[in-house]
Amino acid sequence: MDELIATALDTARQRGAEYADIRLVSNREQRIVVRNGVVETMTADESVGLGIRALYNGAWGFASTRELTNAGADEAAGQAVQIARASAGQNGAGLSAAQLLGAPVASQGSYTTPVAIDPFAVALEDKLALLLAADTEMASVPQVSARMANVVFIREERTFANTEGAHVSQTIYEAGGGVQATAVGNGETQRRSYPQSHGRQQGCGGWEYVLDMDLAGNARRIAEEAVELLTADACPVDITTDLIIDSSQLALQIHESCGHAVELDRALGDEAAFAGTSFLTPGLLNNFQYGSDQVNIVADSTSDTGLGTFGWDDEGLPAQSTDIIRDGQFVGYLMSRESATRLGLASNGCMRASSWNRIPLIRMTNVSLLPGQWDLDDLIADTDDGIYIETNRSWSIDDRRYNFQFGAELGREIKNGKLGRLLRNCTYTGITPEFWRNCDAVCGPEHWELWGTPRCGKGQPGQIAHTSHGASPSRFRNVRVGVMR
Amino acid sequence: MLGPDHIRSLLRDSLRNLHLGDADIYLTATTQALTRFANNRIHQNVYHDDAVAHIRIAYQKRQGRAVTNNLSLDGLRSAVVQAREHAGLMPEDPDFPRLPQAPKAASVDAYDEATANAGPEHRAAIVGMVCRKAADAGLEAAGFYRTGVTELAVFSTRGRHCYHAGTFAGLLITARSDDSAGWSKGGGWRMGEIDAEALADEAIGKAVRGRNPQDLEPGEYPVVLEHYAVDDMLEALSFYGMGAHMVQDGRSWMSDVQGQPAMSPLVSIWDDGLDSSGWPVPFDAEGVPRQRVDIVADGVVQGPVHNSYTAAKAGLASTGHQRGATGGPTATNLFMKPGVQTTEELIASVDRGLYITRFYYTRLAHNRGCVMTGMTRDGTFLIENGELASPVKNLRFTQSYVDALAGCIALSDTAHLNLNEAGVAMHVPAALLESWRFTGQTV
Repeated sequence: MDELIATALDTARQRGAEYADIRLVSNREQRIVVRNGVVETMTADESVGLGIRALYNGAWGFASTRELTNAGADEAAGQAVQIARASAGQNGAGLSAAQLLGAPVASQGSYTTPVAIDPFAVALEDKLALLLAADTEMASVPQVSARMANVVFIREERTFANTEGAHVSQTIYEAGGGVQATAVGNGETQRRSYPQSHGRQQGCGGWEYVLDMDLAGNARRIAEEAVELLTADACPVDITTDLIIDSSQLALQIHESCGHAVELDRALGDEAAFAGTSFLTPGLLNNFQYGSDQVNIVADSTSDTGLGTFGWDDEGLPAQSTDIIRDGQFVGYLMSRESATRLGLASNGCMRASSWNRIPLIRMTNVSLLPGQWDLDDLIADTDDGIYIETNRSWSIDDRRYNFQFGAELGREIKNGKLGRLLRNCTYTGITPEFWRNCDAVCGPEHWELWGTPRCGKGQPGQIAHTSHGASPSRFRNVRVGVMR
Repeated sequence: MLGPDHIRSLLRDSLRNLHLGDADIYLTATTQALTRFANNRIHQNVYHDDAVAHIRIAYQKRQGRAVTNNLSLDGLRSAVVQAREHAGLMPEDPDFPRLPQAPKAASVDAYDEATANAGPEHRAAIVGMVCRKAADAGLEAAGFYRTGVTELAVFSTRGRHCYHAGTFAGLLITARSDDSAGWSKGGGWRMGEIDAEALADEAIGKAVRGRNPQDLEPGEYPVVLEHYAVDDMLEALSFYGMGAHMVQDGRSWMSDVQGQPAMSPLVSIWDDGLDSSGWPVPFDAEGVPRQRVDIVADGVVQGPVHNSYTAAKAGLASTGHQRGATGGPTATNLFMKPGVQTTEELIASVDRGLYITRFYYTRLAHNRGCVMTGMTRDGTFLIENGELASPVKNLRFTQSYVDALAGCIALSDTAHLNLNEAGVAMHVPAALLESWRFTGQTV
């Protein structure tokens, strides 16, 4: 493969590229889905290929191929430069590579996700048995009309090299699993999920990551909760109250209202046509009260088990942790080399491509709310009147990341410091900085969990990134709740 | 392109002499070039191709699968062996029918040589024109222009052998000022049908007209939805309920209203994979010919689309709507019957309401009635006395799409094709709806 890499980079240079990089990716994925007692999917996917970026006169071109031969790499490199030249022809005079990208990156080394048990060495029978056991537990609950249990395992080998001398290799393991029960009755449809919604919880790790979830041990409980929700009281309509948000729902709140908002490409307008822009424009950096002083958010690609954990990003920058929100102040973006250079900064290593045939984009790594000091029981006891919500059901936010609305699978009334009646169809809405400025309590490290978000869409052509977000339950004052009638 | 002969011999050889039971291979090969622009310049410009074989082995009511992009004979045979191993581990599924036998699918016109051969210089020239027009208007343009080819093939030991090649092209434009934006999108299988200048003018015109947007109190308003917004409604209704698996699980918006007049009599929606005015695909991932399926006829909810599995459970024949190798059946070539008035006449009939260009980030809030939440974007205007009176800041809505279509007052006389990146095509008019529930406003 070293010869292939050298061939591709040489071709790009000879065709006129001032800078080029190449990624070789081999992805193996195993997915098993049991639906209503039947194994709906048991599949093994493999995808192998390479992608080359070339910079010519300040403009980019990219080409990819599944032909992992010198000839295939050579052709892709030539195509990347041809495309870059076409871009440059319309853009006019551009910056040099040094002006555009800043300091050269020449990282060397290798990295492998630490795993206790290689998930691809575990017998399929064991994986099936785990899912069927969980399904049996859910099936024992009457009124459950649809059941789903699934696991997924990924091993991705990536090699990155560039014309500045970088050459790094990494092997990333991911494991995920989850169960979901849907109940129908009383004119309602209600769903509960475990460990979280969107199908599963996922992280970087091995088979042990799924075993630790104890899917079967939680399956009956969530099935019973789905049935219980059918006759639960509806969430009060259009009230303003205090909200305690569980860590998995808060993880998605961070993802949508902070993680995407601090992507520098969005802030600079590069995603305006699709994902949108951001209210956190460069002029607000180090000059904007994003949240209360309880709010501290970091981007940390070194977190244990995070889906945004790696050795190097797809520009060869090493994994690192940087502050995004410190004591409520907006202090950092997620950046690429090019975007960081535009602000006179250095990249914090957030360029990630979803596949060999996609370019790297600025993506979240593990963007997490740092734990505070509250105990959850104490926090509930400290709340006179409010709602506790758990597990995401719906999510939406505007194209500048201001106006959001979320729904939760389950809610519980809080009265006089105690959890009360069950509530169904809970929703809440707000404006991002107002909401985070009303965060007055964050629970401590014993409640903090890192949640995987393996379906983050961005870019054209579309890319699905795997990110994670750590959070512990937190309280937000004066939130508008009950938007849905 | 791989071509029909190469694909057929490759797939046939990969299944030869393996004594597997039933087997089929669904192959997708896509070549796409996409020139992306923002801030009035090309900032991303990419080319990719990939070909993926989805292998399925079935015997004794068991099925196993494997997927690979290694299309060498060794690579395919290795995946076949893996699929067979998976099938052997599966418990029996009593509802699983044999892999389908099916008549030969019709061939449809969907391939355009010029689109297939478009190069980066052509795409850059179109994008350059859009950016110059935006700059001349004091705006910043963002979007993409893409061209490509998709090949689909199914080869089955049950006698299904089919191949289809289609092209695609699309131009998407957002034009922005500091406080406004406009949007346009065109596409189909012939790039020559994209009027790039007109699309640029459409997006730029809306952005210019949208400057200095006003606050508007959220509430219920009559709305005129551009075809882009109607496209969002049909996509949601498709993905949250037109597949038979969702109806069979009780998770579909159709679950309680099949056979009932849940929408206005003006509303007729059908799926037709053979209509060349859409983005035609003549067979599904199981090689079953696509059937036209009426989803809503004159407001009455008819029924969902099927694959061979859901059809067997219902005692019906598959309608040819298995979209991918896994997952349930999906309606992806939807048509909505146009009305008799122009969009301008729809606006003229509203005393006070809103004109919506498109929706953004729409998500299911509740599956009963297909309650969605999302935002307006890229051109939202107050209508007063039958005219666009002023731009307004974007609004959040929480609205049942089924209820909204129950209040359909009129549809425009022209339907537009909206082809998205995932190959979902909606051919829809603009709509005047009696009421839309706005639940918030952005900054």
